[in-house]
Amino acid sequence: MTRLIEVPTQFDDRSFDQFAAAYAQAADGERLLFDAHAAEWASPYGLVSLLAAGEAATRKGERPLLTVPANPDVVSYWARAGFFREAAELFEVHGKVPRAKVATESEVLLPVTPVRAAEDVHAVVSTIQQRASAILSSELGLDPKATMGFAMALSESCQNIVEHAGTGGWVAVQAYNWRRKLARRVVVIAVADAGVGFRHSLEATQAKRFGERWGDAAALEAALVQGVSRFRDPGRGQGLAGIRRYVARWEGKVAIRSGTARIAIVPRWDDDVPLKEGLPAFPGSQVLLIIPEQVAEKAGGSSKR
Amino acid sequence: MIPHIMVHAVLQQAVAGFYTDLVTRPTGRAVRENIERDLPPATIAVMDFTGVGCLDYSCADEIVAKLVRDKVKVLLLRGLTDAHREAIEPVLAGAGLAVLCERADGVLEGLGASEPAPALLDELIERRLAARIPGGSIRLTAA
Repeated sequence: MTRLIEVPTQFDDRSFDQFAAAYAQAADGERLLFDAHAAEWASPYGLVSLLAAGEAATRKGERPLLTVPANPDVVSYWARAGFFREAAELFEVHGKVPRAKVATESEVLLPVTPVRAAEDVHAVVSTIQQRASAILSSELGLDPKATMGFAMALSESCQNIVEHAGTGGWVAVQAYNWRRKLARRVVVIAVADAGVGFRHSLEATQAKRFGERWGDAAALEAALVQGVSRFRDPGRGQGLAGIRRYVARWEGKVAIRSGTARIAIVPRWDDDVPLKEGLPAFPGSQVLLIIPEQVAEKAGGSSKR
Repeated sequence: MIPHIMVHAVLQQAVAGFYTDLVTRPTGRAVRENIERDLPPATIAVMDFTGVGCLDYSCADEIVAKLVRDKVKVLLLRGLTDAHREAIEPVLAGAGLAVLCERADGVLEGLGASEPAPALLDELIERRLAARIPGGSIRLTAA
């Protein structure tokens, strides 16, 4: 039997729970068909999360199916963003996929890239410094010094996969105009894996401390807010703390979903909630970082820098 | 004689592949272990970051914090960019540790937790490796 899982038409972190709910209903052994034919847009978060779903489905049973977006512009964009290069290994892909060159345009700062080992993180950091520095400073108005911090935040986000997931994952970085929320340009880092998730990773060292409260939400809170790590080494837990400092400094946002919970450091411009529990279960962890274009405050309003 | 550690050169020796960025725990561990091999315990050492690109928090902890915690008596950093300082400072401060940092103008200052830094400067002055100059700031006399 094949179970249909619809990919939302606008697939991003907001619509992800709808996707996760459909995924969570699948039983072991069922073949999954991820239906993206109606997809009109996907954020980097949507693309890397779809790959994580494909990997988790492959582990559970038969290789899943994927129908590509019907809109040729959409499928072309997904190809340029590097999605199909990775999807080909995970899904039985149905539909015409163009042979587009990956990452030739300025908004794809880092195409969908697999992260399995420390060497991959090195490659990601090197690529982002070559491609993103000019965009971060000229288009987003970030201080040139902040571009190195961006690479640091990206490195730490990717290392969560290498050190904690127990499997590989994917990262993608894009810049785009975010009309819906901000009417400003933003740079988005999305990292997803289908690994063990934060609760499992921290369980051995943290579950006792939290007692009955222990669960996905408590694990995320421990990691992001308290900076704890599964390692007893005193210097551990620096990565997420560093990411928090970076996004706070540039009025950015960080959100992490793992298992059935999602935690976020919410900036002034966003109306997200800090913690959500009882969400549809989804394997691994999905991390989202948003750095907005900087605006200089002026008397009587604000202006872009 | 104060040992001088050229971090970029150690990175090239310690890790396969030509990297200029100090990122990831395994890379930091490899670099630190390489440094530790030639470093006598409880020593004073100079660590030069010239040529190092991105330094992330994990590497800052794995290299700088662990050397300060377990191996060296005084660690003097030079060739730091602002971004390097941003990675190292909170990692040291969070662990209650400090290093000395040589600014571009030669002046030494503490980096990390504020409490241990004066003792590090005193140690260098006591050993006549640094001296207070008119105006009150401290610079290396040799090294």
